[in-house]
Amino acid sequence: MTKEYNVTEVNGVAMVGEGVGFERIRRITGYLVGTLDRFNNGKRAEESDRVKHGVSCCSLNDSTRSA
Amino acid sequence: MITEIIKRDGRHAAFELDKITNAIFEAAKASGGQDHDLAQDLAHQVQQALEQTLGDAVPTVEQIQDEVERVLVETGHARTAKRYILYRNERTRVREMNTRLMKVYEDLTFKSSSENNTKRENANIDGDTAMGTMLKYGSEGAKQFYEMFILDPEHARAHREGDIHIHDLDFLTLTTTCCQIDLLRLFRGGFSTGHGFLREPNDIRSYSALACIALQSNQNDQHGGQSIPNFEYSMAPGVAKTFRRTFTENLTKAIEIYLEQEDGALMSKSIIQQAERETGKQAVFAADNGFDEAVHRLLCEHTEKAVADKILHFTHKYAVKETRRATYQAMEALVHNLNTMHSRAGAQVPFTSLNYGTDTSPEGRLVMECLMKATEAGLGNGETSIFPIHIFKVKEGVNYNPGDPNYDLFKLAMRVSAKRMFPNFSFLDAPFNAQYYKPGHPETEATYMGCRTRVVGNVYDPTREIVNGRGNLSFTSINLPRLAILSEGDTEAFFTALDEKIDLVIDQLLARLRIQSQKKVRNYPFLMGQGVWIDSEKLDPDDTVGEVLKHGTLTCGFIGLAETLKALIGVHHGESDDAQALGLRIVSHMRARMDAASEQYHLNFSLIATPAEGLSGRFVRMDRERFGKIPGVTDREYYTNSFHIPVYYPISAFEKIQREAPYHALTNGGHISYIELDGDPTQNLEAFETVVRAMKEAGMGYAAINHPIDRDPICAYTGIIGDVCPRCGRREGEGVPLERLHKLGLYRHLNTTTLGYHGDPYEERDRTVNPV
Repeated sequence: MTKEYNVTEVNGVAMVGEGVGFERIRRITGYLVGTLDRFNNGKRAEESDRVKHGVSCCSLNDSTRSA
Repeated sequence: MITEIIKRDGRHAAFELDKITNAIFEAAKASGGQDHDLAQDLAHQVQQALEQTLGDAVPTVEQIQDEVERVLVETGHARTAKRYILYRNERTRVREMNTRLMKVYEDLTFKSSSENNTKRENANIDGDTAMGTMLKYGSEGAKQFYEMFILDPEHARAHREGDIHIHDLDFLTLTTTCCQIDLLRLFRGGFSTGHGFLREPNDIRSYSALACIALQSNQNDQHGGQSIPNFEYSMAPGVAKTFRRTFTENLTKAIEIYLEQEDGALMSKSIIQQAERETGKQAVFAADNGFDEAVHRLLCEHTEKAVADKILHFTHKYAVKETRRATYQAMEALVHNLNTMHSRAGAQVPFTSLNYGTDTSPEGRLVMECLMKATEAGLGNGETSIFPIHIFKVKEGVNYNPGDPNYDLFKLAMRVSAKRMFPNFSFLDAPFNAQYYKPGHPETEATYMGCRTRVVGNVYDPTREIVNGRGNLSFTSINLPRLAILSEGDTEAFFTALDEKIDLVIDQLLARLRIQSQKKVRNYPFLMGQGVWIDSEKLDPDDTVGEVLKHGTLTCGFIGLAETLKALIGVHHGESDDAQALGLRIVSHMRARMDAASEQYHLNFSLIATPAEGLSGRFVRMDRERFGKIPGVTDREYYTNSFHIPVYYPISAFEKIQREAPYHALTNGGHISYIELDGDPTQNLEAFETVVRAMKEAGMGYAAINHPIDRDPICAYTGIIGDVCPRCGRREGEGVPLERLHKLGLYRHLNTTTLGYHGDPYEERDRTVNPV
């Protein structure tokens, strides 16, 4: 059965989703984890440090690194 | 007169002089003495001394032991005193470990996983459940037991102090890491799970169900991941069988319809049998073996050609349609099962990997298409499935270029990966993988297990350089950054220290193998009992597994190459060519040492780029305590994964690929590289493909692309969610008006009159209006 969420009334408007977060799936060490809550402390820190890798330059000789 | 003592836990107990006598006598015996009377005399002296110093006070155990030491030294029994002190220290260590274990148990019992890092050591185990906690009790207790009584003290110390990390230590005496399961072999003639026998399957749906059962059964015999190296080849016979069945069924129907027969079963059966006799073939998906033509000829004996055409057309069309549908359902069920079925007493789902990509038969291709499409569709509410790990094998001439027979499936793999992060991509053309590849022999296609483990070469038996039935036995990682810190910039000192640690790891892996080798087939009812592990089918239940285990790998790993280079020369391999050269020198050296050990011991030693999960924080925590915060080395909560460029370092995808690729060739025990893509890659599949092709061209063995997958559980949107859900406009943790959800076609069963009610929506749907 699908999970049901409570309906609450806020200023006369019926609302759904109070207190419900978004799920954020990330890769841990090769496998995916449904939510960051299950990461250990070290992996949490690592995940939050991850930067994106640019693909704007498609030449293998080019580099966008800043340092 | 002493009558009582105070024990360590504070309770009082009767004073027994004999206990002191015995302790002294045992210590004397250990150093060669045998005079019991002397021991008794010395014990008396201890008692008298205590009575003098303490008067009427009750002595504690510690006070008595101090006095024993003093008396032994003062009466000139130095060697006995030394023995006594050693014994006392050892007892103290055991006591402290017991106390520490009890503290660990206390935390496991009373703290939730959000407060307790141990419970989150591996993210795929739910530490908050009853079985998850039970598993942790067992695991923590086993580790302490092995440390105290099983491990060589030198190995135990190196592990305890964080010079090395013995992975899966809790399973030290129990089993091996992982296995590549050949389902084709397993299914032939059926198999037993140890709890019941299963016949050889006859339908693609049973093939997929049995695949799950095999993965689950084997997972309970090993602590690492379970992999199927030839998934599409394994499932293809199931598709063929389903096709044959639906062909017959539809021929029956067509005969009933077009020839107006009441029961067409008899006629269709006889036509099929005769066609099989005539052609020596069976009905196939591709209709390319002359079988359909034979059926047509036979039909013409009963009716005119135009009707025979119609019957055959109907039969083939619906056989294809029903087989496709059955295959999709089978793959959908497999994905669902692998995300929900439990192993290890329900604490986690099996850690499963499926390798596929090279079978060009219509049946194998259909399996891959359906599996990927089911993965793309997601689970029940459209969620991204966490397992299995999909590994798409990329091969020139098979699927890499336009015109290759499976190029369409490579394109599909990228589309699905752009949405669901799986498949990952393995590259069979990388020279170190290509050297084993023999066309038409999928067992020679290098495959990857779980996080990254790779087992294909075979020093023990070079005639069996195959993936099927083999796996890793155990692996141990070296704390490279610590060696670098201790070398204080002296590269040669670093290499000397590294060699010592490699010696230690080789020694420890061999010691562990000796323990593993003594186990019997009956200890692994599925892995060995059902012949899943290579050559185990030749063994009896009471045979030891030592010989067949030699086909597995003994693997040394490493973590934090980036921090190592920072500590040695101030820069990492992402920011300096010199650092890259040194990095390659270090990893080449480790590989050369593993090759030399393979030669020496005639066993498969290999080097792995360690998948650090629990370890990522452990080493650095210890090193920060010991050396303080060293910029770029110990100043973060983790050491960088194996040879990766640090995750925090800005670098283009293509340069990262160029710099990490050479390490793939060196790490024959396994490797993976990641590229983190920004934005929604499903909107830019071209960029996605450019990155995958760059990985292949750079000579990588195994790689994957990471991108954010977010989901709003309220409206089920899957994609990237910043602060606001793009579908329903909800903010994290806040509510969204029910009316807006109604407009999206959601939550129709909820309305303002159900405020505060969150009961059974089905009951509500079924309510009928009472007649007036």
